[in-house]
Amino acid sequence: MDFPQNMSMEEAFALAEAEAKLQQALNESRERFDQAALPDRLNEDWRFGRPHRHAAALAELFDTPSCGEARVLRAGECAVPVSAEDDDLRQTEMLMPTIGSDALLGLHLQQFGAGYALYIEEDTKEPIVLEYSTDSFYAPSTYIMVAPGVKAEIEERHTGNAAESALFATRNIHVAEGAQLRVSLRSSGFARHMSITNIQNLGGRVSHLTQHSSNAWTREETVAEIYAAGEGTETRLYSANRLTGSEVLDQHTRQVHHVGGAASDLLYKNVVDDSATAVFAGNIYVAPGAHHTDAYQSNRNMLLSEKATIHSLPGLEILADKVRCSHGSASAPMDEEQLFYLLSRGIPRQEALQLVAEGFLADATNRFYAAETND
Amino acid sequence: MDESVESPFQLDTRGEFSFPENHKYDAGYGLTEATIDYICDAKGEPDWLREFRKEALRKFNEMPMPYHWAPEGIRNVDFDSFRYYLSHGTTPRKSWDEVPDEVKRTFERLGVPEQERAFLAGVDAQYDSETAYNNMREELSKQGVIFVNSTEGLKEYEHIFRPWFGKVIPVGDNKFSALNHAAFSGGSFIYVPKGVKLQQPLQAYFRINSANMGQFERTLIIADEGAEIMYMEGCTAPMYDSSTLHSGVVELVALKGAKIQYVTVQNWATNVYNLVIQRGLAMEDAEIRWIDCNLGSGLTMKYPAVVLQGRRARGEVVSISLAHDGQVQDTGARMIHAAPETTSNIVAKSISIGQGRASYRGEVTVLKGMQGCKNNTECDALLINAASRTDTYPAITVNGNASAVQHEASVSQVDEEMLFYLQQRGLTRAQAMSLAVNGFINDLVKEFPMEYSVELRRLIDLEMEDSIG
Repeated sequence: MDFPQNMSMEEAFALAEAEAKLQQALNESRERFDQAALPDRLNEDWRFGRPHRHAAALAELFDTPSCGEARVLRAGECAVPVSAEDDDLRQTEMLMPTIGSDALLGLHLQQFGAGYALYIEEDTKEPIVLEYSTDSFYAPSTYIMVAPGVKAEIEERHTGNAAESALFATRNIHVAEGAQLRVSLRSSGFARHMSITNIQNLGGRVSHLTQHSSNAWTREETVAEIYAAGEGTETRLYSANRLTGSEVLDQHTRQVHHVGGAASDLLYKNVVDDSATAVFAGNIYVAPGAHHTDAYQSNRNMLLSEKATIHSLPGLEILADKVRCSHGSASAPMDEEQLFYLLSRGIPRQEALQLVAEGFLADATNRFYAAETND
Repeated sequence: MDESVESPFQLDTRGEFSFPENHKYDAGYGLTEATIDYICDAKGEPDWLREFRKEALRKFNEMPMPYHWAPEGIRNVDFDSFRYYLSHGTTPRKSWDEVPDEVKRTFERLGVPEQERAFLAGVDAQYDSETAYNNMREELSKQGVIFVNSTEGLKEYEHIFRPWFGKVIPVGDNKFSALNHAAFSGGSFIYVPKGVKLQQPLQAYFRINSANMGQFERTLIIADEGAEIMYMEGCTAPMYDSSTLHSGVVELVALKGAKIQYVTVQNWATNVYNLVIQRGLAMEDAEIRWIDCNLGSGLTMKYPAVVLQGRRARGEVVSISLAHDGQVQDTGARMIHAAPETTSNIVAKSISIGQGRASYRGEVTVLKGMQGCKNNTECDALLINAASRTDTYPAITVNGNASAVQHEASVSQVDEEMLFYLQQRGLTRAQAMSLAVNGFINDLVKEFPMEYSVELRRLIDLEMEDSIG
């Protein structure tokens, strides 16, 4: 490799070493894709509702070219279309962690080249809006990089326009020290929607919200990696969904604390009606030596029909000391008292049900919007 | 925690002795059809059982190991390195005087005869593969209570035993269930007739004496309508260089209105793989409680389960586990709500010390169409050192909108301020730590029978004076 002229010996060594590490990681990743098999029933991360069938269907979709529309609103000059020739972005995607979907990520890489990269170096006045839509199959990548000390707000929307629309999105979110980011993902109208998200928090505050509606099948993998200590490092993950018909929502999360002294919080709420199914499998991982970590995880489900099903697997893996960590999962029918209160005020039953369900979900969305940015 | 503080706990080492091996029967290493023929011949078993065992062996060989979810250590289990049947003879003695000398001395050193006199209704003492001693108070047999080992149970009480044999835990349930069905020997068969309530507990004691032993006891407890029973089991083995395997199957059947409490204090040496399947079937208004304490063994995988099969049945698991350096305690509970208005409760507390790893793995399932089911799960973990590890892997499935399930878990450390306060009052750091840890598990220890809770406290207590200066 070429070194800049004015570089000292030490810097050159450090750079060479970093380069060697990166190459090694990339080689390992190549191996990972070579060895990965499509998810099957023995894959612990694809356990419920036979989702591996959807994995097989998604894999087949990758035989057709990715085809869809991407646009960015109010981004100014910070948005750049992703090009298949951009090696840096491709490498970022190669190193992305998945939750049991390495084989699918490998397929996504082969079609790499759609989507947007946002390099945010100034505070955003209004939310930047990123829209992906398709009437067939679309596989975009999104990169969000927020510079040190910058406040940003981003809304990402995925829309399916036809009955068989499918979308497979990868999302890399990079939050620098002192940065504040509020980012939401909304998807609707897909036969199959899958997103793999990697949040790297290097010392900022990031709030992340997902909301899915009218998708027959949705799979969400969100890995938040925390690399910086200190009170200013906060990672908040929220989700609020209302499932009807025979919709299936399969959500998987990891809160990975590589270093200690940081906080993370997760609140995933679902209202499950008709014969819909909600799966939540979360994990908090506190690495050896990541002492003084504060990590919380909570999954709450409201079941509205006798055919509704939920699976909840809130996991913890703690390898450090002086950790404050807790998780909870609760699943219950609608609170009759709340309903009764509304009925006794003369509100029709259907409307009352709607209100209680909305109130239940608003807990998560309100917390997301209360997260401080752009005051 | 200050790194200089050593583990405040000492393992109970009373089981740390062994006698020379002296077997009348030895089926050798590995499990094949020939091994099964050997076991059947030694025990004089009927042909149906021989076929049954061989069918189970075929299933065992076909089934995969649970590598995709089990702790790493399970990869080291080598089924060919174990000896599948070792015994002095197949007839249990009814009096300690008739028990072979070294076996008697073993149980005397472990205090079993004393406990029997003091507070037990009956004792079954298993030495390697077979029961060495089995006795029960006479008045209980007059009431129709049956308490024998599994071999005798199948021989003498086939009409009660066989209909329930392998019904709660079927052969093909998992690889270790198939293994036990193929090689089982020892364990208890208990039948408590309608309405009989045992005032004192029955006790089983499992002892592995020989190196490379595989112990596959099989226990079936049937409590008829309205009956009540408490059963306790204790386990020890000496430490050998090579590993030993303990893979028991325990089936409980609580018929209408019956109540079964099953207490385990497991203190195997750390070279023992403790892979046990325990499951109970609770019919209408019945109650099953598993009270489970895991202190020993290098790798424990044990998830006591209750299938709530009858309306208003109740299940409970109370679990304490302690993982020292090099130990993996993968314990938990399973509750299957298969009838309406069933309730269950799980309370699990684990302590990880040094490099120990304690995991909670649990399953709560409310099946389709069940109304008014309730489950509450709490699991708390205490980490003593910086290198300790704790994991929680619950899996909850709820069908329908008429049940409530909640799970809560927390991880914490011993509060430095509390230690400081106690040390300031003149306690050593170790004593303070001991007090804190006993406080953490105090409410669960109370669930154990009196004699055991004293024992437990002693086991978990710090004998700090010796460990740090």
